Amino acid sequence: MVALVSPVFLLPLLAALLTQLAAPRLPRSSVRISITGAVVTFAVASVLLGLALTGQAPGEIRFGHDWGMLLVDPLASLMAFVVSGISLIVHVYSRRYMAEERGYARFFTLLDLMTAALLLMVTAGDLVTLLIAWHLIGVLLYFLLGHDSTSHTANRYAAWTLLTYRFGDLPLLLAAALLYQAFGTWSLHGIFEQLMAAPDTRTLFDLPLAEAVAGLIALSAFARSAQFLLHTWLPYSMSGPTPVSALMHAGIVNAGGFLINRFAPLFVGTDDVLHWIFIVGLVTAVIGSVLMLAQNDIKKALGYSTMGQMGFMIMECGVGAFSLAVYHLIAHGLFKGTLFLGAGGVISEARNDDGVPKDDLYTFVVERRPARRRQPWLLMAAITLVVPVVILVLAHWLVANDFFQKQGAVVLLFFGWVTGAQLIFSTYRMRTENIWRLMGLILFSFTIVVIGYTLISHAFDVFLYPDPVFRSSIYAAAGIDIFWFDTLVILMTLVVVLGWLVTYYAERNGRRRKGAMSSLWRSFYTLVAREFFVINLYARLSAFLLAVATRLNVLLRWS
Amino acid sequence: MTFPAYLVAAVFLPLFPASMLFNRVFAMLGNTWLRMSLLLVWPQLGLLALAASGETPPDWLVYWAVLTACLYAFRALALRDLGLWTAHMATSAWALLWAVAMFSGDTTALALQAAAFSVPFVLLAWLASRIEAACGAAYAGTCGGLAQTLPRLSSMLVLTLLAAIGTPLFPAFFSLLATVTRALPVVPGIALLILLAWLLWAWAGARMTHGMVVGQASTEAGPDLGIAAALTPGILLVGLAVAGVTSLGYLV
Repeated sequence: MVALVSPVFLLPLLAALLTQLAAPRLPRSSVRISITGAVVTFAVASVLLGLALTGQAPGEIRFGHDWGMLLVDPLASLMAFVVSGISLIVHVYSRRYMAEERGYARFFTLLDLMTAALLLMVTAGDLVTLLIAWHLIGVLLYFLLGHDSTSHTANRYAAWTLLTYRFGDLPLLLAAALLYQAFGTWSLHGIFEQLMAAPDTRTLFDLPLAEAVAGLIALSAFARSAQFLLHTWLPYSMSGPTPVSALMHAGIVNAGGFLINRFAPLFVGTDDVLHWIFIVGLVTAVIGSVLMLAQNDIKKALGYSTMGQMGFMIMECGVGAFSLAVYHLIAHGLFKGTLFLGAGGVISEARNDDGVPKDDLYTFVVERRPARRRQPWLLMAAITLVVPVVILVLAHWLVANDFFQKQGAVVLLFFGWVTGAQLIFSTYRMRTENIWRLMGLILFSFTIVVIGYTLISHAFDVFLYPDPVFRSSIYAAAGIDIFWFDTLVILMTLVVVLGWLVTYYAERNGRRRKGAMSSLWRSFYTLVAREFFVINLYARLSAFLLAVATRLNVLLRWS
Repeated sequence: MTFPAYLVAAVFLPLFPASMLFNRVFAMLGNTWLRMSLLLVWPQLGLLALAASGETPPDWLVYWAVLTACLYAFRALALRDLGLWTAHMATSAWALLWAVAMFSGDTTALALQAAAFSVPFVLLAWLASRIEAACGAAYAGTCGGLAQTLPRLSSMLVLTLLAAIGTPLFPAFFSLLATVTRALPVVPGIALLILLAWLLWAWAGARMTHGMVVGQASTEAGPDLGIAAALTPGILLVGLAVAGVTSLGYLV
C-alpha cells in the first residue's frame, strides 16, 4: 500500500510538466495529457482507499532523513480519493468550459500542480512537507483565481486570498517550530508518539505544549476554512474561472477540517481549545448563513453559504465529532461542486424557460401564500417538536447505545432537531390539498437523511479512528461541565422555541411591525446587507497602511 | 575590534539608517551588470565584517535588524518602480541575515544562505532592465499587462518574485523556517518579527505582480525574451529550488 502513495502525488506533477512541455506545439491537445494524468491519479487513489478499507496497516515512505515523508493511513487514503475525484471532474469539465480562454494549457498545468499540492498536503507525514504543501496551495490558488490576467478585479481578490492564506500559514509554521523544539523531529508519527508519552510537556512562557500548538493549528485552519473575520476572501473570489470556484469550494476551503483531523492526537490532550473552536465555528455558521440570506448577488450568496457550511464543519470538530467533519467536508464538497459546475447549464436553460413549477412549494416559498385551512396548532406543535427528536434518537441508538454520554453527539442531535422541526414548522403553513400526505413524505425523507447521515458518519468514525478509546477521548476532550452543558442546551432550546413562537404570531398578525422595532429591524438589515462592514474595515486599514508606507518613502527619499 | 566590525556590518547587512546608503548607491548605478554585482557582493562584505567581530551578535542588535527588515518590507508595499522595489526587498532580506547569524556559527553556510537570498534580486535587476528596454520603464501600472505582451518575460518575473518573497521550495523559505525554529524558544519576539516581515513580503510581491503582469495589453511593448534568454533564469531558479530542498537538513 505504501508503494502507491508516491505515484498519487507524483502523477499530477508529471502531468503538469508534460502538459506544459507539449503546450507550444499542441496547444489544444496537450490538455489530454493532463486529463489522462487525472484519470490515472484517481485510479491509483481508489486502489489506495480500497486497500485501506480492507484493513491494510498504515505506513509511511521517506525521501529524506527527517522530512519528505508521505503517510498512508485511513485519513490520507480517504482524502486522496476525494481530492483526486473532484480534481478529475474539474479537469473533464474544464476541457470544454475553458476552451475559448487564453492560457488554456497553462490553466491545466496549474490545475495539475494544485492537485499535486493538495495530495501532498493530505499525505504529508512530517511538518515540513505539510508546511510546503500548505504554502503552495495558497500560491497556486492565487494563480488559478487570477487566471484571467486582464481582469484587475479577479487578480485583486486573488491577492487578497493569498494574503489571508499567508496569514494563516504563519501559525502553522509557529506550531511546527514549537513541536520540533520540543521533540527534535519533524515526523508527525514521532511527534504524536512522544506527545502521548509526555502529554504535560511545557513550551514557551511555560504554556502547555498541546494547548499552545493546538491553538495555533486551529488559527491556521480558521484562515483556510474562512472562519469569521478571516472569511472575506471567500465570497469575493468568485471572479475566477468557474472550475476554480468549484475546486476551491469543494476541496481547498475544507482543508481546515482536514488539518484538525490530522492533528487529532494533539487535540485529545487539550482542555479548552476545542471549546474555542466550537464557538468560532458556531459564530461563523450563524453569520455566514445570515449574510447568505441578505445577498442579492447569487455568487456572493454561494460564497457565504460555503462560509456557513465551513462554520458548521469547524463546529463539529469543536464538539469532538472529528470524523463527522470529514464526512461533512466531503458531502459539502460534492454538493457545492455540483452547484458551481451546473450553474452554467442552469442559467442557459433558464433563459429559455424559468422551469419554476407553479405548485404548492412555489406558491408558498415565492408568493408567500399561507394555507387556507390550518390544522390544530397544538397537534402540529407536538409533531414539530417530538417527531424529529424520535427519529434522531432512534437513528443514533441504532449505531451506538451510549451516545447520550457524549456531549458532542447531543449537540449535533440538537442541531438536527432544530433543522427537522424548522422543516415541519414550514410545512404546516403550506397550501396543499392533503397536508398529511405531504408531511408524511417530508418525514420519510427526513428519516432517510438522518439514518443515512448517522450510519455513514458512524462508518467514518470507525474507519478513521478504529480505536474506540481514542474515539471516546476526542469526545471527552470536547466535553464541558455537565451542569453548564445542560443549562446551555435548555437555554438554547428555549431561545429556538421562542423564536418559532414569535415567527408564528408575526405570521398570524400579518407581519405588522411598528415604531422602534421596525427601525431596529432596518438597522440590522443594513448591517447585514453591508456584511457587518468587515470588508470596508479591511479596505480602510489597507489604504491607511499604504498611505503610511508612501509617506515614509517620501520622508526617507526612497532610500 | 567588535564595535568597528559591527559598524561595517551595519552598512553591508543593512541596519536602518545605514541601510539608506545601499539604496542610494543602487539608485545611482545606471548599469544593470553593476547593479547585479552589487546585489551579489554587498551582503557577503557584511558577513565578512560580522565574522571579523568574532562574536554572536547581541539580542538588541538582532531586534534592530529584524525591525529594519520589517520597515523595508513595509515600505516596499508602496513602491511601484521594480528597481527600487528590488533594492528595498534586498535590504529587508539581508537585514534578516543578522538573525540567521545569531543561530548559525558556520560562516560558509551563512555565505551560501546570503547568496541564496541575493540571487532572486540579481535576477530581478536583470529582468527590470529587460522590461525597461521593452516598455520604456519598469514601473508597475504604467507598463502593466505584461502577461499579454511579453509572456516569457512575465513568467520569469513571477517565478523570480516568488523566489524573492520566500515561497517554498526556494532557499529563503527553508532559511527562515530554520531561523524561526531556532529563535522561537530563545527570543520569541525576533521569531514573530521575522514572520511579520515574511507576511509583508507576500503582500508586496502580490502588489508588484499585479501592477506588472495584470491588465490590458500595451501596444507599444518591445520584443519578448528569446527561449535561450528565458532558459538561463529558469535553470537558475530550478537550481535554487533544488538547493532549497537539500538545505534544510544542514540548517536546523
